[in-house]
Amino acid sequence: MPDNIRAIDCQNAVRQLWDYLDAELDDQRMTEVKQHLDTCRHCLEHAEFGQRFIQALKRVRDRHVMPSAVRSQVIAVLSAAGFSAE
Amino acid sequence: MNIPRNSIGTWNRRGPAVLLSAASPYHTGPGHRMRGTVYPIPGLMKQTADGRDDERAKDESFARDAIPWMDDVYRFALSLTRDPSDAQDIVQETYLRAYRSWHTFDPGSDCRRWLFTICRNAFLRSRQQNRLEVEVDDGDAEAIAAAREHRAMIEDGTDRLLASVDLGPALDSALAGLDEPFRSAVQLVDVEDQSYEAAAEILGVPIGTVRSRLFRARRQMQQRLRVHAMDAGLRSVSGEGENA
Repeated sequence: MPDNIRAIDCQNAVRQLWDYLDAELDDQRMTEVKQHLDTCRHCLEHAEFGQRFIQALKRVRDRHVMPSAVRSQVIAVLSAAGFSAE
Repeated sequence: MNIPRNSIGTWNRRGPAVLLSAASPYHTGPGHRMRGTVYPIPGLMKQTADGRDDERAKDESFARDAIPWMDDVYRFALSLTRDPSDAQDIVQETYLRAYRSWHTFDPGSDCRRWLFTICRNAFLRSRQQNRLEVEVDDGDAEAIAAAREHRAMIEDGTDRLLASVDLGPALDSALAGLDEPFRSAVQLVDVEDQSYEAAAEILGVPIGTVRSRLFRARRQMQQRLRVHAMDAGLRSVSGEGENA
């Protein structure tokens, strides 16, 4: 556990909020943002909305399925280039 | 059997014979065919046992490591082209290039990332968009502005209304409405679960650029959500949330 954790202000927390939700901060900063969210209702609201937002975006993936015709076409093109899908 | 005499020359009558035209390099002149000789056909690769094994191993590893990502590559291509037919072309080109350069792929490394990079390059070639763009990396400002706008949504009640609906469909259309280069940043990080660093490598830009494109894209989609909520007539007239 990093031992130079500072208390950060709202501006600082908000600036890093998406980095935090994406787990793209180093350990120290992740802890600092988390501690701020634990004590700041306003910033927590932003974090919770951001979290819902990102989770909903991830489900976009499930709604876009590749047509099977594309797969067979790609395999055909590869086969012409020597690929053999045994 | 009457074998006609012609420019090829005379032949020994020894049963089924392979007639070689005079143009063949293996034609050694009239009446000069040797019995029992196998004449190799020009252009046919000599297949040694090792060569066949190499080809099979290559195809097996390609089938195992690259083919399974085709749906993801299609989805990424579709997000770039916004046209299913163009996306199909991009996917084809991506896989063909991947197959031809499979020997350059480091086995055990991230194949999906590698394929996405090839896909992005194929897309850029199709659009001839190789220009260098100087972008301002202002992810921080976008993050702060988005929070400020979310605060306004809380105050006017939109946030509360959005809390009870499925954000998916609205985000879907908001995502489709984004322009490049913002859309591909969201597609990679949010839909395809890539890290900032992986997205930076795929897109060929610095991490700061991914971050600022991503945050700006998210902020634009957030604005769309707000408009969507209001357009759908969901905006309630409530006693709280004074717009003073």
